[in-house]
Amino acid sequence: MFMKYKLTLVALLAIAAVSCKKEEYIFDQSPDERLNEALSNYQAALTASPAGWKATLQPALGSAYNFFFQFNNENRVFMYADVDTVTAGTRGESSYRLKAMQQPTLVFDTYSYLHILADPDASKNGGVYGQGLLSDFEFIFQSAGEDSIVLTGKANSTKLKLERATQEELDAWQNGTWANILNFLKFQDIETYFKRLTLGGNTYEIAVDPIGRFIGFQWLSGASLQSFVTGYSFGSQGMTLDDPLINGNQTIDRFYDFSWNPSTQTLQLSGGGATGSIQGATAPLRTNLQAPQRWWQEAVAEDLYWFSPEGFRSASLQDRFDINSLDRYYYLIYWPGYSTGENDLFSPVFVNSAGDGLELLYGAAPGIPTFTADGRIVFDNLGFYGAYPSSGPAYQSLQQLLIPEGYYMIPTGAGYDMVSAADAKTWISWQPTW
Amino acid sequence: MIMKHIITIIAITTLLTACRREDPLVVDDIPGLGGDTWAKTPLDEWLFDSIATPFNISVKYKWDQFELEVNKMIVPPKEEKVVPVMRSIKKVWIDPYIEEGGRIFFNKYSPKFFVLAGSGSWNLDGTVTLGTAEGGRKVVLYELNEYVNKSMPGYTSADSAIAKQMFHTIEHEFAHILDQNIRRPLEFDAISAGYYTGDWINTSPAEARRDGIITAYAVSKNSEDFAEMVSIMLIEGKSGFDHIVNSITGTSIRGTTPEVARQRLREKETQVVNYFKRAWNIDFYSLQTRKRQAIVNELY
Repeated sequence: MFMKYKLTLVALLAIAAVSCKKEEYIFDQSPDERLNEALSNYQAALTASPAGWKATLQPALGSAYNFFFQFNNENRVFMYADVDTVTAGTRGESSYRLKAMQQPTLVFDTYSYLHILADPDASKNGGVYGQGLLSDFEFIFQSAGEDSIVLTGKANSTKLKLERATQEELDAWQNGTWANILNFLKFQDIETYFKRLTLGGNTYEIAVDPIGRFIGFQWLSGASLQSFVTGYSFGSQGMTLDDPLINGNQTIDRFYDFSWNPSTQTLQLSGGGATGSIQGATAPLRTNLQAPQRWWQEAVAEDLYWFSPEGFRSASLQDRFDINSLDRYYYLIYWPGYSTGENDLFSPVFVNSAGDGLELLYGAAPGIPTFTADGRIVFDNLGFYGAYPSSGPAYQSLQQLLIPEGYYMIPTGAGYDMVSAADAKTWISWQPTW
Repeated sequence: MIMKHIITIIAITTLLTACRREDPLVVDDIPGLGGDTWAKTPLDEWLFDSIATPFNISVKYKWDQFELEVNKMIVPPKEEKVVPVMRSIKKVWIDPYIEEGGRIFFNKYSPKFFVLAGSGSWNLDGTVTLGTAEGGRKVVLYELNEYVNKSMPGYTSADSAIAKQMFHTIEHEFAHILDQNIRRPLEFDAISAGYYTGDWINTSPAEARRDGIITAYAVSKNSEDFAEMVSIMLIEGKSGFDHIVNSITGTSIRGTTPEVARQRLREKETQVVNYFKRAWNIDFYSLQTRKRQAIVNELY
């Protein structure tokens, strides 16, 4: 018993001896003092550059974006960005603050151009609903120097790198140089499906993915169709291709000097040492003669149908006839060989009243389409299943299908785009059900 | 034996006192203690003068993830939307209640903390949350960046849905607060007893009404039914509510005929009107007229 107490006492004294060892502080200031000092240093760094900061931001989805920031000491930040022509041409003002969270954090705390990329409403940025482009507006400081500040996003770990800007770089935003460069994207307003670039005697068909920032070219070299796809980025010198396009003696590494004319739907531009333009076209550069028949046969071979949730569309309207306004509408289908050797089926498909399956309420019965020698597909209606509406979106969609000029079929990888051969201003994207 | 205990106690006491430091860590300047601070702008002054001072309601429009669901992508509001939204809320929610119930009544029971978000809050099932409330104190309003009223350029009446949803949220939460302070009548709960279910998400508004329940969410439980009845009656107005009641057609899956459904909604209406008179001495129909007129002024 006594032994036990002795041991306890010895142990306690030993602890006492150890715990009373005078602590050596690694830092000569308290954590709060150091945190306050870090925050004021970061604040000083942000406001140190008189012309502001140029910055690049790389969201998890899509491509890198250029930003320009000027911070003041009253929690205000002024901004430009190459997101679109507005953000590139109009100085935005919003709020920011430095906050001591687990680490010193820069919070852009009211909506700004930066938030467009992070907005969960995908219609704002072309990303994913609920997530946007997986970008950030709360950033942790990684380093802050005189010429650069490196930040990492809190939610999605996007990298934001600020570099001290010169007055010329600020001017390039203020005098509209950047806004002019973003005008490149205006060519997407061209009403026709086909967009034709004419430059230095050569003609290209072009298509752009503005979110991923990819551009694709097609051109004819003798009888063969060439194609080239590359990434691109905007800069104060223009729109630069990641890899140059080389076509014979023409090399294009960037486009610049844009001028958009909305009434003629023409984008004037320079590139590859020449000046040229992008305009609409009503037919493909070279018609794919086999595509219409292949589109029809593929479905017959599977005994299944093509579908399109949006229905017919145009450059300005994603759902031209507003077919999604039909009650319980699911998608529009075309079923080649629905009645074998007799006719096909074209109709909207609906969710049934129990909500657990699909049903057909009515349909049109086009005959087997005509495949013309010049590569068009032409539809002709033979009759109806059920009571097909005589007005409204379903009626308008059927009338559109039956235009006498027919359609070009453009393979897209995911399916086929069926483009009006009348004026190329209306098209529908078919996806396979298999 | 006792002695030994005493020695132990002395030893421990020595231990405890011996290590007290004379010079503790400096903790008198903790960053962010007392809340975030920033240089005040005219917007902050407007909120202070027009909302905080008269009604004791604070409005947080600057981003603070911890006021929202931390696992969601949500963005802060545009600064230029804050004043129009709060001004509309004052006209539609605050002013009519003060006119009918008095300032003391309103300031005593109103939620004291509004959090504003620019976007909606997307849920995994594809739905979007447009408003939430906690504990009768805090109300979160979403989708401020989409807010428009008829004083703004480019406004169409189709845009009224978002604004109406916002008013609906506030009226709904305030009805809960009133209910929690003076309970709704038991007679109200009896009207649709047996028809409440947690599976409201699979109920369509039309089907809910065929059972005599005003909205799909009201199917979830009797207290929500009460808050939905109050808020829908206030934002739709008397004729709007009458229109909803009169346009019920068809027998419900559970066998309620349109006549019975209409009768149930009318009984609930009576209970709500009586409750406002008895509990708060407020003339509900007069309140309803003022609210609807304020909404019409804002949106139509």
